[in-house]
Amino acid sequence: MIYRVTHTTTYDYASDITAAYNQARLAPRHGSRQTRRSFDLQIDPAPDDTHSFSDYFGNRTDHFSIHQPHRRLVVTAVSEVEVHEREAEGPLASTITWEDAVHQLATAKVAADLEARQFVLDSPMVTVSPELAAYAQPSFTPGRPLVEAVLDLTGRITTEFRYQPGSTTTSTRLDEVLAQRRGVCQDFAHLLIGCLRATGLAARYVSGYLETEAPAGQEKLRGVDASHAWTSVYVPGAGWLELDPTNNRVPAERHIITAWGRDYADVSPLKGVLFSGGGGHHLDVSVDVTRLTEADAGSPASPS
Amino acid sequence: MTLTQPPNLLAAYERRSGIHDELVDGDGNVRAEWAYLVNALELLGPSGLEERRREADRQLDHDGVTYNVHGDPTGLHTPWALDPVPLLLRSAEWHVIERGLAQRAELLDLVLADVYGRQSIIARGDLPPELIHAHAGFLRPCHGVVLPHARQLFLYAADLARDTSGELSVLSDRTQSPSGAGYALENRVVVSRVFPSVYRDAGVHRLAPFFRALRTALIDAAPKGIEDPRVVILTPGRWNESYFEHAYLATSLGYSLVEGADLTVQDGRVWLRALGGLERVDVIVRRVDGDYCDPLELRPDSQLGVPGLVDVARRGRVSIVNPIGSSVLENPGLLPFLPQLSRTLLGEDLLLPSVPTWWCGDPVARSHVITQLSSLVIKPISRRAGRSSILGWRLDRHQRDELRARIEAHPYAFVGQERMVGSSTPSLTANGLEPRSTVLRAFAVARSDEYLVMTGGLTRVAQDTDEILTTSQVGSVTKDTWVIASEPEQQTGFWLQSGPVQEATDPALSLSSRAAENLFWLGRYAERAESTIRLYRVISDRQNDLAGGTNPAGTECLQGLLAALTHVTDTYPGFVGTGAAERLERPHDELRAVLLDGSRPGSLTSTLRGLLSAADAVRDQLSTDTWPVVSNLDQELHQLEAPAADIDTAVRGVLGEIIKSLLALSGLAMESMVRDPGWQFLDAGRRVERAISLVSLLRATVVPVRGTAAESLMLESVLSAGESIITYRRRYRSQAQLETLLDLIVLDAANPRSLVYQLDRLLEDIERMPRPGGQRLQPDQRLVLDARTRVLLADTTSLSDSGSDSVRWDLDHFLAALAGLLADTSDAIDNAHFAHVSAPRPFGQPAFGPMAGARDAATSPSAPSPRPPAGAGPGGVDA
Repeated sequence: MIYRVTHTTTYDYASDITAAYNQARLAPRHGSRQTRRSFDLQIDPAPDDTHSFSDYFGNRTDHFSIHQPHRRLVVTAVSEVEVHEREAEGPLASTITWEDAVHQLATAKVAADLEARQFVLDSPMVTVSPELAAYAQPSFTPGRPLVEAVLDLTGRITTEFRYQPGSTTTSTRLDEVLAQRRGVCQDFAHLLIGCLRATGLAARYVSGYLETEAPAGQEKLRGVDASHAWTSVYVPGAGWLELDPTNNRVPAERHIITAWGRDYADVSPLKGVLFSGGGGHHLDVSVDVTRLTEADAGSPASPS
Repeated sequence: MTLTQPPNLLAAYERRSGIHDELVDGDGNVRAEWAYLVNALELLGPSGLEERRREADRQLDHDGVTYNVHGDPTGLHTPWALDPVPLLLRSAEWHVIERGLAQRAELLDLVLADVYGRQSIIARGDLPPELIHAHAGFLRPCHGVVLPHARQLFLYAADLARDTSGELSVLSDRTQSPSGAGYALENRVVVSRVFPSVYRDAGVHRLAPFFRALRTALIDAAPKGIEDPRVVILTPGRWNESYFEHAYLATSLGYSLVEGADLTVQDGRVWLRALGGLERVDVIVRRVDGDYCDPLELRPDSQLGVPGLVDVARRGRVSIVNPIGSSVLENPGLLPFLPQLSRTLLGEDLLLPSVPTWWCGDPVARSHVITQLSSLVIKPISRRAGRSSILGWRLDRHQRDELRARIEAHPYAFVGQERMVGSSTPSLTANGLEPRSTVLRAFAVARSDEYLVMTGGLTRVAQDTDEILTTSQVGSVTKDTWVIASEPEQQTGFWLQSGPVQEATDPALSLSSRAAENLFWLGRYAERAESTIRLYRVISDRQNDLAGGTNPAGTECLQGLLAALTHVTDTYPGFVGTGAAERLERPHDELRAVLLDGSRPGSLTSTLRGLLSAADAVRDQLSTDTWPVVSNLDQELHQLEAPAADIDTAVRGVLGEIIKSLLALSGLAMESMVRDPGWQFLDAGRRVERAISLVSLLRATVVPVRGTAAESLMLESVLSAGESIITYRRRYRSQAQLETLLDLIVLDAANPRSLVYQLDRLLEDIERMPRPGGQRLQPDQRLVLDARTRVLLADTTSLSDSGSDSVRWDLDHFLAALAGLLADTSDAIDNAHFAHVSAPRPFGQPAFGPMAGARDAATSPSAPSPRPPAGAGPGGVDA
C-alpha cells in the first residue's frame, strides 16, 4: 500500500524569534516493514543551516536552525511511503510463554536479546510501579503464550480506558492516566509499555501515522487527525511485535512508522530551543494521510 | 618552656596498627625516601612548621584559591585547605602507577568509543547492557559523535588508595571533566615557595611536562584541517565548586574562559561572542556536566549550555573534551568487568586493581552484597550531586532493610564495595605530625602515541584520625604529591613548544562580550561603593558636630546631605520621598539600611556583592595580585553583614578598610593591567559611575539656595565627599564658595575627581573600544562629547547665581541634562558592545490532543545566570 503523508506544523509567536534551533523526526522509517519512497521537508522561513542524521534508534532526524527574526514557523513534511503486507512468519506466530520470554531476556546470551534488554529499563516518561504490574497481572496467567497475553492486555486497555482527546497533555504522568482511566494514544502507548516492562518484558514506543479515511467497509480508526503512537513488544527469538492499544489491533498496512524509541521523549516529531523577547505561541498541526494508487505515486524515489 | 633539644617531630607519630603508613614501615623505621624531608622538617621544629603552614595559608589567600562545597550556604569563597607537608612516593613505585594508569585510560577509552558506537562489548556479552543503558551518564544523543583523532577519553583521573598490605588500587574513575589538576599545580606552586630549599634539593619530578602535553594535546584535538585552533574552557560559572580551577587553568594555559551564553552556534559551527564580533571556536575544554551542554538535545532546562552544540560535534566541526557523555565511565559497576575487558580489548591483564566491587545486577554478586550489607560501602552506579555512598556499617536495622528493598527493586543500579581504609600519611596538625587516611588523585592526558600521566597528583587526607576518606568531594585537606626522582631532571616551562611561532591573538577577539560587560560593571560597582562610603562619612561627621546641641544651619546641611545619599545610592523613597520627614528627624534606621541591608538594591552591601560577583566572573582577566584585595573585600563585607554590625561603632572602622581595598583595586587596575579592551571597559565603568555620582551629589546639595552658614557647611561637605577639600583649601585659602567649588570639581581638567576629568577619560576609553570602522561618531561618543562640551562651556559664575529664587534653576537644568547624557552613555556602551542573549526556551510539540504551551525554561538551581541583568546595576539614573 502506498501513502502520501503531509504533516504541517505552524507556530505563531507573540514576539520576534531571533534564533531557533530545531529537530524534526518526521520522515517515515525505512526498513523491511515499509519503504520510504520520498521525503521532503519544507521550512519557512528558510533555515540558515540544516543537517540530517540517523539517531541512536536509527530514526532519521533533521536538524535546522533559523537566525532571521520571524514570528511564524511553518514546517511541512511530505513523504511517500510504501507499507508492505505483514509477513506470515512474524512474531505473531511465536509460541514462547511469557515466563520463558522474561527469563530469556534476563539471562540473555545472543546479541538480539541483549540489545532488546535496554527497553526493559525505565525511561524518561515511563517509570514502572507496582500499580502498573498489578494492572498487567490478569493478562499474564501462568504458562500463557506471550503473544496471547500481550494481545489480551492491549484489548483490555482499549476497552477499559476512555479515548478522550484533551484529557491529558504530553506531560501527564502515567499514574494519573492509570487512575483516571482515560487519555489519548500517547498515554495508552506509554501505559502498555509500562505494563510490559513491569512484567519484565522489553517494550518500545512507536510514533507514526494512520490512514486518514477508512477504506470502504472498514471502521474509522481513532487518532487519525494528528500523529499517532503505539507500542512494540520484543518477542525473544522472533523479533518485535507492534500493538496499538488505542485501536486494539496489531498495526499493519494502515500504520506508518516515523520513529521509535524508549518513549515519547526520544521521538517527539518537532522540538526546539528558541530565543525571543518572551510571550507565548500558538500551534497548529495538520496531518493528512492519503492512499495512492501506483499511478498517483511519483516514480519511486531513492530513500532520502 | 626550656630551651633544650628541639622536640622530636616523630616522637608523637603513632602509626595505626593494621594500616599501611607512608612514612614508617612495619618495623617503625622511617622509609628511605622520607629521610631527607623528615630531617628538614625536624630542623624547622614545631613552631617553624606552624609558621610554614600559616605561610601556605597566606599564599593560598593571596592567590584567591577556593573550592566551593555544594550546598554550602557560606558561599563562594571557601578557602582551599592545604597541608604543606607533601606525600612522598618513590620513582620506582610511581613507575608502576604510571603504567597502570596509562593502561586503564587506554582501556576506558576503548570502552567509551564502543558504547557510543557499535556497542559490540554489549552485543558480545562482555558487559551487561544495564551498566550502560541504565547509567545517567549515557547520553543517547551523543551516539556517533567521534573526536577526529584516535582517542575519545582526553583527560582521565583516578582516585587511588592503598589496602592494608600497601597495594594500590583504584577507588574510582573520573572521566566527566576531571577536576584537580589545576589545584595540584597550585599546591605545588605554594609548597615550593613555602619549602624552597627542601623542594629544590629533594629531586622532585616537575608537573610542567603534564601541562605542556595538555596544551599540545588540545591543539592536536582540533577538527581536521585546523592548524591554529582556538581553544576555550567552558565553565558553568562562578557557582561551580571548582570555578577557581577553571579560571586558573584558563590563565595558566592562555585560553579564554567562557560560559555557555558566551558561545553561539551558527552555520553549523561554534562561535565565541567576542568584543570584535563572532570568533570561531575549535576546541572546547568542557567543565560543564555533559547533560547540561545543549538544551536542544540534552536537558531542556539547562541554562549552562549552548543550543545546537551536540550537532556541531556530531558533524566533527568542534572537538569537545572530554566528549559529552564521557561520564558513563564514572561507573563503579564497570569495575568488576574491567579485568575481562582488558583481556578482550587490549589483550593484556589489568595492571592496577580496583577496589573489590560487586555489581548487584548479577544475582550471585547481589546475594553477596545483601548478606554483607553491614560491612560494605553501597554506591549507585550513577554519581549524582547530593547522593553519596552509603556506609553499610553506619545503618541501623531499619535503614538496612530499606536499602535492601531499594537494591532488590533496581539491582542493576547498585554496587557493593569493600571498605578501603587507605594508607596513612603524616599530616600537620596542632599536635605536630599525625597519621591521616589518604587518597591520591592522579591524572592522565591523551597524546597521539600514549597517555601521559602527571608525575604527581592531588593528595587528600582526612581531617581527623578516625575519619576514612571516600571519594566524595566534601571538604578535605589536600597535599602536594612529590615523586622523588632517582636522577635530576631537566627543568622546563609550560610553554616550551616546538613548531612555528604563532601570531599574537588580537585581545578584542578573545575577550568575550560577557567578560567586557562584567568588567564595566566591576568599575561601576567599585566606584559606587566608594562614593557611598565617602558621602556617609561626611554625614556621620555632621551628625557628630550636631550631637548634644541644636544648630539650625547644621541641621539643614545634614538634611541636605541625607537627601543626597538617597539620590546617589538610588534608595528611594529614603530621605526624599514619602515618609522622608520622619526619617530625616530620626535618620538612624534608614542610614543603617542604606549601608547594611543587603536585600535593598543600592545599599552598600548589595553594591559590594555586585562588585564581588563581577570580579569573580572575570577572574581570568584580573592580575593575581588582585585576589588578596578581592578576598579582603569579601571578608570586610562579611563583617558588615554580621548580625551585630552597627553603624555607630565598629562599622566605621570597616568602612575605612573597605575604602583602602577599593583604592588598592583601582591602583592595581592602573598599574597592573594591560591597556587592552578589557581595561577600557573597566575604566569606562568607573568614569561613568564617578561622573553620575558627582552630578547627583551636586544636584541634591547645591541647587537649593541656603542661608550663609548652612551654605558654607554644605559646600565644605560636598568638597569632602568629592575628595577635593584639601586642594580647595590650598588653592583658594578662603571660605568655600559655590563658584570656585564648581571650578574645581566640575571644570578642572587636572583634578582627577572633577567631572571634566571623568569625561576626558571616558572619551579616551570609548575611542579605544572595538567598533565598526568609518568616520562616523558612534552614539556613545556623541553623548560623551555632548556632555563634555556642555561642561567646557559652562559659566560657573552664572550657574552659581540664583537671582532671587530659592533654587538655582540654571544649575539644575545644567546638571539634569548631564545626568541624562551620562545615563544614555552607559546604555549606549551597553548596546554597542554587550551581547544581550535572552535565555533560551525549549519547546516540545505535543503530538496529540490540544496543544500545551511552551514550558518555561527553568534555571538550573545549582547555577544561576551570571550575567548582571541590564538595569540591575547601581544607580537609578540608568534605569
